[in-house]
Amino acid sequence: MDSEDDMHDAHDVDEDYEEDYYSGDGMYSDGEGYDFDDNDDDGDDDDDDDEGNDDANDDVILSLQQKKFTVLKEEDIKQRQEDDITKIVSVLSISRDSACMLLRRFSWSVTNVHEEWFANEEKVRKAVGLLENLDNKAPKSGELPCGICFESYKVEKISTAACGHPFCNTCWTAYISTSINDGPGCLTLRCPIPSCGAAVGVDMINRLTTEEDKSKYRRYLLRSYIEDNRKTKWCPAPGCDCAIEFDIGSENYDVTCHCSHSFCWNCTEEAHRPVDCDTVSKWIMKNSAESENMNWILANSKPCPKCKRPIEKNQGCMHMTCNPPCKYEFCWLCLGQWSDHGERTGGFYACNRYEAAKQEGAYDEAERRREMAKNSLERYTHYYERWATNQSSRQKAIADLQQMQTVHLAKLSVLQNIPETDLKFILEAWMQIVECRRVLKWTYAYGYYIPEPELAKRNLFEYLQGDAEANLERLHQCAEKELHTYLSDRDPPHSQEEFRNFKTKLAGLTSITRNYFENLVRALENGLSDVITNAEESSKTSSSKTAAAGTSKPKAVKGKGPTKGGASSHTDGWTCESCTFVNPKTGTECQMCHTSR
Amino acid sequence: MSGGIARGRLTEERKAWRKNHPHGFVAKPESLPDGTVNLMVWHCTIPGKAGTDWDGGYYPLTLHFTEDYPSKPPKCKFPPGFFHPNVYPSGTVCLSILNEDSGWRPAITVKQILVGIQDLLDTPNPADPAQTDGYHLFIQDTVEYKKRVRQQAKLYPALV
Repeated sequence: MDSEDDMHDAHDVDEDYEEDYYSGDGMYSDGEGYDFDDNDDDGDDDDDDDEGNDDANDDVILSLQQKKFTVLKEEDIKQRQEDDITKIVSVLSISRDSACMLLRRFSWSVTNVHEEWFANEEKVRKAVGLLENLDNKAPKSGELPCGICFESYKVEKISTAACGHPFCNTCWTAYISTSINDGPGCLTLRCPIPSCGAAVGVDMINRLTTEEDKSKYRRYLLRSYIEDNRKTKWCPAPGCDCAIEFDIGSENYDVTCHCSHSFCWNCTEEAHRPVDCDTVSKWIMKNSAESENMNWILANSKPCPKCKRPIEKNQGCMHMTCNPPCKYEFCWLCLGQWSDHGERTGGFYACNRYEAAKQEGAYDEAERRREMAKNSLERYTHYYERWATNQSSRQKAIADLQQMQTVHLAKLSVLQNIPETDLKFILEAWMQIVECRRVLKWTYAYGYYIPEPELAKRNLFEYLQGDAEANLERLHQCAEKELHTYLSDRDPPHSQEEFRNFKTKLAGLTSITRNYFENLVRALENGLSDVITNAEESSKTSSSKTAAAGTSKPKAVKGKGPTKGGASSHTDGWTCESCTFVNPKTGTECQMCHTSR
Repeated sequence: MSGGIARGRLTEERKAWRKNHPHGFVAKPESLPDGTVNLMVWHCTIPGKAGTDWDGGYYPLTLHFTEDYPSKPPKCKFPPGFFHPNVYPSGTVCLSILNEDSGWRPAITVKQILVGIQDLLDTPNPADPAQTDGYHLFIQDTVEYKKRVRQQAKLYPALV
């Protein structure tokens, strides 16, 4: 288990984050989510709402966190790259071309370029291939031999890098083009003379190559800016050209691109909060790994005793006949030849040899392994099914949300005679559903990895997950089915009163579901550590009882936190009957599961 | 692309070689039975460096150029089974400047290639083994390695 220090750290982080959450989320507790008139829109808009739906989307997803990342569009990236180059140009007084090469060498870190350059300019120049003060011996007129095709050309048709080695423009073009088509290595292109390190920069590329190659080169340069930089990554969504700049050091890795794809900046898998990256990678590995197939084969099949092909016995009697060409006939139980079976082995359809041998323990090991594999497989299947179902359910919800935005909202607006802006609560409900399906999905991966013996943790986890799930189902049902009735032309039409009630219900469910999921996320993020406190509390209670009976002094309880704090919270608080969480004395509702006292 | 320039460049290489080339080396384009010259294949001879175990041997090497030359390097081959840690069993030489993905530059001349390979003979690169026989002896049994090199030198006497 973690050390005490780790526990404290986890807890501290959680507290910080709780503050954020409460300060950022005030508007919901004010209105209790039931009062969605104009006031509320104001509360919603004070961030930045000028970019329409994208931002509305962010608002909901980010309602729990401060934004610690920036989405960069292609223009932004180019602008930043230009700005960085300009900074180097003005400080080092070198050409843009050289500045660009320097930055690329030092992973686009302006600070690093400054440091390295001023520490040892000569070394940096050599590493990058920026030659200086070379007497360019090339004559201004006449003819020069090209070092590649060996033909002589007029100097107008000859180009050189800073080193002055002459090559004809045709050979330069071919040389550069070969390099660009070989990949991003073209960004560090040098003079064609083997011993010469002079760099060939973007100026020469632009002067000497075709449009197609130039655009490829620019592409590589742009990619380098994002890929070599420690603080930026491309959005992994297919077809998305945006990149994310992440504030390194923040706790929460979840980021959301303009394309609405949410992913974990750390591992670039889709967003998986509250589950950590290691668990996700283990889970994904497991889902794709052959190991599950092996488990299945082990659990459900036996190898044919003759040809060793695995055989699944899905029904019928113990008399097995292997597929042609093997056609071996054998007994499923003892794997002996079928012709040996008969009256003397206990009849054709039972196998005394097997029963006898089993009693002697001959089959135990193999059987036990098979049994274990079967159990573990069933356990995995349980979690996988739920993980996968929530995944597909989320995909459907995303599609429904889009449908809602593009078609249904306008229709509803006409039918109910309400401006579309007042129907925002429907989109919010759907966005909440999408987000909740994501969280719920990953909690199944989390659940799979809760260690078997930690029963208390498992119980709390399943309790929180069950609650969150039940509420999500209610919300999903309401947003899907009930809303549908308002979309059909009904005679007589729904009254405004009815629709107002529906609005109150859906907005309420959205807010309640959000709360449940926040609880779940928080509990999982601090590793279900509440349950440890509780387990200790109960052990302490029992030992105090023993002490009261006068047999012995209470033993010191090993665990986190000062004993004093633990004891006082117990004496001051009350234990929820439903989830066993110890609440402060003053509260009348359980902080964890909201059950009344 | 540079498709057209391979033959032009090779003609110039030939001229330059005839004008001046290092002592003991031979490099000439293949002559076909009908008397024409195939510029794309060159038959060369590399002398072992004086004072090394390779001394006394005149090693035959064939250069195979492609239409992409000089954007792409030629393939350089000793006879199959040639004993050297950086020569593949097929005879192909493994050398950084002959690798199109790293060391090759179009300005490398035939002369530089041949001199580079002569250098490689006595200074093999154990980081890039290309055959097991030569590599293992070079690493594990210097005496036997040197013996094999000297034996091989006798296999390739001067062609005069």
